[in-house]
Amino acid sequence: MKDKQPIIKAINISKSFGVTKALSKVNFDFHKGEIFSIVGANGAGKSTFIKILCGYYADYEGEIYIDGKLTKFQSPRDAYEAGIQVVHQSIEQGIVQNMSVAENLALEMIVSPEAPFIYEKKKIIQRAKEIARKMDLEYLDMEQNIQDITQSQKQMIIIARALARKPKLLILDEPTSSISDREASMLFETLYRLRDEGVSILFISHYLAEIKKISNRVGVIRDGKFGGLLYQPLEISQIVKKMVGNLQSVLERSYDKKNTKKLVLELKNLVIDGSSEPINMKIYSGEIIGLIGLIGAGKTELAETLFGIRNSISGEIKLNGKSVNFKNIHQAIKQGIHMVPENRTVNAIIPEESIKNNITLPFLNFFSKYGVLLEKNEIKASKKMIHEMGIKCEGYNALIESLSGGNQQKVVVARWLLMKHNIVILDEPFQGVDIKSRRDMSQYLMENTKESSVLMISSDIDELIDVTDRIMVMNKGRILSDERTSQIDRDKLLSLITQEG
Amino acid sequence: MEKFVAFAIKYGFLIVMAGSFLGFGLLEPSFWSWSNMFSILLGVTIVGILALGVTFTLIVDGFDLSIGSTAAICVMISSYVMVVLNLNYIYAILLSVLLGVTIGLVNGLLIVKAKIPDLLATLGMMFLIQGLQLIPSAGMSIGTGMMLANGSEAKGEFAQQFLFLGQGRLFNLIPIPVIVFAILAIIIYFILQYTKWGRILYAIGGNEKAVKLAGVSVERYKIAAYVLSGTISSIAGVLLAARIGRGDVTSGGGLLLDAVAAALIGYAVLGVKKPNALGSVVGVIFIGMLLNGLTMLSLPYYTQDFIKGVVLVAALIFTFGLSKSEI
Repeated sequence: MKDKQPIIKAINISKSFGVTKALSKVNFDFHKGEIFSIVGANGAGKSTFIKILCGYYADYEGEIYIDGKLTKFQSPRDAYEAGIQVVHQSIEQGIVQNMSVAENLALEMIVSPEAPFIYEKKKIIQRAKEIARKMDLEYLDMEQNIQDITQSQKQMIIIARALARKPKLLILDEPTSSISDREASMLFETLYRLRDEGVSILFISHYLAEIKKISNRVGVIRDGKFGGLLYQPLEISQIVKKMVGNLQSVLERSYDKKNTKKLVLELKNLVIDGSSEPINMKIYSGEIIGLIGLIGAGKTELAETLFGIRNSISGEIKLNGKSVNFKNIHQAIKQGIHMVPENRTVNAIIPEESIKNNITLPFLNFFSKYGVLLEKNEIKASKKMIHEMGIKCEGYNALIESLSGGNQQKVVVARWLLMKHNIVILDEPFQGVDIKSRRDMSQYLMENTKESSVLMISSDIDELIDVTDRIMVMNKGRILSDERTSQIDRDKLLSLITQEG
Repeated sequence: MEKFVAFAIKYGFLIVMAGSFLGFGLLEPSFWSWSNMFSILLGVTIVGILALGVTFTLIVDGFDLSIGSTAAICVMISSYVMVVLNLNYIYAILLSVLLGVTIGLVNGLLIVKAKIPDLLATLGMMFLIQGLQLIPSAGMSIGTGMMLANGSEAKGEFAQQFLFLGQGRLFNLIPIPVIVFAILAIIIYFILQYTKWGRILYAIGGNEKAVKLAGVSVERYKIAAYVLSGTISSIAGVLLAARIGRGDVTSGGGLLLDAVAAALIGYAVLGVKKPNALGSVVGVIFIGMLLNGLTMLSLPYYTQDFIKGVVLVAALIFTFGLSKSEI
């Protein structure tokens, strides 16, 4: 692979936004038939680099050679014509709703200026089938509506469409963020095949385990500079080190283990829905509990029951020894059950509002008197959380949009850690969060979980091993195992998570 | 350049407003007289109050198309109560406001509980009210001494106290409706800006689901927004009835569009890009001032709607067009 000329070579790429230098002399090259990953903490300049490669910024410095020829990208069109195809993170943005599978596959034919005035269905289906063949998608019913197929099938269609252009470089931006693990492994199989057929792939992901698994080479961007290249065999620790420098190797718990004696939450034969089995669970003060399972294992349903979003069918929830039954979220919060929901953009962020307003939202009763807001108290509380959680921002009044994804997540977590609580439930808190922010949040939880407890839900075992004291495995609505994190056998746990029946 | 654009977005609208204020006064000195100032304000009170009402629903990312017709039906109801039923003016006011509350509540329930999209629900309600207001008086305008269906003459009349609400002046200078408008504007500004209710209404407009997951009863807040919209519209209706002194069946025409335009122009004031009380007030005064000044410079009346439209489109460009767009 190293013998040949790279098909795309980016040399000394720099880009500034006003006075801030986002990228400074970054060099990467891409070869035929390899999967190349670019990693970097949020804000390191990863997305700026990729946008330059896609032609979004015309005012970059440096040179891009394609097949040895110097090319200057002035617009996304230039990059597109030069053979760079991007599959963006959001699947919904890549497909056209209300169109059939065939129309989505052969979209180019429909929207091209040369398209005939009269719609030729047969030709479109024929072309769509040709495109589908590349990704083994012939089994799809070409005439069904795009809304009736799964997320990963939609994604495959988007990739197939990109491949139909015979791209020199196929960029996949966070392709696994909205599909399940199984669908992801199917995607990887496809990527291997494409690689072996000679396609050059640039892969971007927050999941370092994926990066480790599928990349031939990994390029690191750190603080806007070239941070080094890594080759197979890859190690996650080695990637992290290149990304953020030396982190404290193991996070330390500062609380006294003897204090974890008070029973905070107890579930007794709790049945969540008709098909699930009774759940029993005990969570003590000072504990950080991990709850792991596949999508559909019942984790979110359990969290929603605890947070008053849905009602249980039978059984008992005991909080500090008292039986509780929440009719709504408001009651749950009043009893000190807080929850950070998954997918912050959809479920948590209030856009175009300040960090402060985002943090204090659930507790405006506390921050007001006769309905009038006590802004001074709000500012004080927000400043404290910004400081303690290391939220990188211009101040409490900065708009939430001005923060990086990881820092937005910190704001959302801060919202629920701000006030005294019995237990805080974190549903997939590290999804789409860079490693540095993840560490900051973990550190904060470990240092501050004393009287209260944490229930952290995740489908990523390594995230949980980092922070938790105990990990429970949930599979098809049942708790299959409950063990101290220090005694966990990772492989055994993985088999419990995925086992059928 | 970036700084200039930011400055333009924030203060551009107010600068244009101050400029036209100066310009009109220099060209036509009587423009600056106190009586003219108050005549501008008096001219915009009804639309201004409606704009404040619609601001609430715009904030929760909704819309209330029935504000104009709510005001209109309140004109008819208060006239009917005083003229035909010959009851005390207090009943006229109470009944009107009660009707406004009810219309708002029904709107809110249709949108929140029956899950009808806001535009459609309030469009339906607008239609319904426009028809309903014609029924008691059999399609006729209501005035003192009108002939009733049974051939007799209506005995009641508009109470002097009631007419004072629309036509009276404090210290022989400040019109009462302007005072009502100012008080409402201040209260609403305060609620939206400094209370938790205002904060939550804005948050609902930003991300309803997130507010729900923060333990807030979003449904109640949304219904409240429509109830406020209906109530405020009914106050505008009462003042309008008191101003014209008769139950004119055509009095509601044009109120809706003018009020919505003012609220939308308000997005551009200080570059907040959101519905806001100050903006709605400034927006409505700006239009009033512009029309007043241009009329003094003998602009024909039939160009007024065109001028309003130009101002609205320009304000929308300020608000949405000048801001940086994301790729």
